[in-house]
Amino acid sequence: MNPFAFFEWIVAVRFMREGLTQTLLIVFGVALGAGVIIFMSALLAGMQANIVRRTLNYQAPISILPPDQVARPLREGDAAETAAQVQPRSQQLRSVDQWQKVRGQVVQLPDVIGATPIVAGPGFAVRGDATKSVTITGIEPETYFDVIALQEKIVAGRQGVGPLDIIIGTELAKDLGAGVGDKLRLATAGTTASTFTVTGIFDFGNKGVNGRNVYVAFRSAQSLLDLPGGASSLEVKVRDPFAAETVAQQIRAGTDLKVDSWVRTNAQFFSAMAAQILANTLIRVFVGLTVALGIASVLVVSVVQKSKEIGILRAMGTSRSQVLRLFLIQGGVMALVGSLIGALLAWGFLLLWRGVAKNPDGTPLFIVVIEPSLFAIACVAATLVGILAAVVPARRAAKLDPAVAIRG
Amino acid sequence: MPSEARIRSLPTGAAQASPGPARREPEPSVATLRIEGVRKSYGIGTPVETEVLHGIDLVLERGEFAALIGPSGSGKTTLLNLVGLLDQPGAGRLFIAGQEAGALSELEATRLRGRAIGFIFQYHHLLPAFTALENVMMPMLASRGRVDTAMRDAAALLLDKVGLSPWRDHRTSDISGGQQQRVAIARALAMRPALVLADEPSGNLDTENADAVFDLMRSVNQADGTTFLIVTHDPRLARRCDRIVELVDGRIVSDARNHDVVRRG
Repeated sequence: MNPFAFFEWIVAVRFMREGLTQTLLIVFGVALGAGVIIFMSALLAGMQANIVRRTLNYQAPISILPPDQVARPLREGDAAETAAQVQPRSQQLRSVDQWQKVRGQVVQLPDVIGATPIVAGPGFAVRGDATKSVTITGIEPETYFDVIALQEKIVAGRQGVGPLDIIIGTELAKDLGAGVGDKLRLATAGTTASTFTVTGIFDFGNKGVNGRNVYVAFRSAQSLLDLPGGASSLEVKVRDPFAAETVAQQIRAGTDLKVDSWVRTNAQFFSAMAAQILANTLIRVFVGLTVALGIASVLVVSVVQKSKEIGILRAMGTSRSQVLRLFLIQGGVMALVGSLIGALLAWGFLLLWRGVAKNPDGTPLFIVVIEPSLFAIACVAATLVGILAAVVPARRAAKLDPAVAIRG
Repeated sequence: MPSEARIRSLPTGAAQASPGPARREPEPSVATLRIEGVRKSYGIGTPVETEVLHGIDLVLERGEFAALIGPSGSGKTTLLNLVGLLDQPGAGRLFIAGQEAGALSELEATRLRGRAIGFIFQYHHLLPAFTALENVMMPMLASRGRVDTAMRDAAALLLDKVGLSPWRDHRTSDISGGQQQRVAIARALAMRPALVLADEPSGNLDTENADAVFDLMRSVNQADGTTFLIVTHDPRLARRCDRIVELVDGRIVSDARNHDVVRRG
């Protein structure tokens, strides 16, 4: 069945062709609106994905830690008595209690991709006269690389971590004047110290992380940080980074451990991102409203201009619902055609952006993914907006008194 | 120019083209149009409420070719709108092909209008966005919802019968006033209506074209037995009708057969 052979479709298309200038103007308006929305949405999604990717490069979405140590004042006599002052306890490096069992439970959760134990604590990297404060992180490469893609960030050397191997960041390598194959000494605040060979140098694209983090074998870190058999935390990777807090709540509910999600630890970032999303949503809503008002106003004018024709059609036996539909079709068609053109414009501008927006080293400022679903959603939404915008003029046309309309 | 002899039987747009149920022909005893005590007022409930039709009674049998005459403001167009189901009477009853219009819903009245009544207006009122052929197809298209070949053939045949085949694919704005009115007549006949209402069909034409349009309507009436009610200010054309109904101040003051009029004249 040819859908273009229907009465409403035929009349709607002819009416639009007859008022071609009006039709083209509103199609152009819709194209601009849809183009701006698609371009902005793609850009924003790219920026967000970029920030998220960069943050989660070196940070797991969820960290499971031992509970904080708290001071419990002894109470004597009347329970109503309270201590006037409670000195907070200093936090010591401790292991997650039964971390192997906890890890086994966590990886069973459907939203969890992987979990790895680490031993992390403060220390000093010493080479010759140079000493730098670092965070020593002991890792199990076989599980750690599933959670943090350290292996992808190695810019020199190799990714393996043997008992006396160490992977350091580009910044620390520069500060210590160390390269692959060089020795450096790691010392902790206690008396423990060991000498390691630099086997790899990483670059996370973050100066602080590159200058602070060092990676050694899990057992080596346990010895250095005096945590034999223990894990200072479990790092967990989830399918949807934005659902990390929900998964963290699930873990929290099943244990008395401290569970931090990156959503909590980066609250400021998320607050900024929420503000950005809100601003983008508002812009989209107002652009959508402008487009809808444009379509509605053109159709209102069209109803006035075509009132005689509508009266004639009604006199010939055209029902109110047929008149209603032929104006709804006009709204939908103008919006669909406009949004398709807008999608093409946005696609072109996004390609242009990819070519122009680059870092001084020639790498992209951030990766903008041209997602077909975004284009499809935008076109469908624009068409729906067009149909909705046409409701008022269409109802007005359908309610026209044919005798009055013909008389003009 | 089509002559009476040439137009023997116009194509039955709806009946021929559609395999669906054919339009029920009114039985000989059922009048095509029956109006009983119809009244119409404007400005109801306001200080300027005015009754423009004061109890009209009128019957048109199948095949009648009647003129409705009267001075401006006598209520002719109002009566035509009521008969065409474009408006509703304040009181009284109205039957089209035996069907009481007052008992119909808005949608049913629209369908009856499309099926049983054809309109010819003074200013042709063709749809400028469409060709002559498409204009003639339009009532069938509105009724059946989608284009088919039979509909196109029926419209082409109608245009052929009114002598406009060469202009079938022309926009109606590209043809003369007389031709436009003939397209309008073809369109009015597309659904093979029982009743054709013509409001000053030749009022906008010169004498030659007016005669041609009148001849065309007359030949359709004689060939198919279609009932015509023609509003006209032209006494010359009115005298060529079988019957003349005169409306003055919302009342029928005379209703005479043509020979009576001629005799009086």
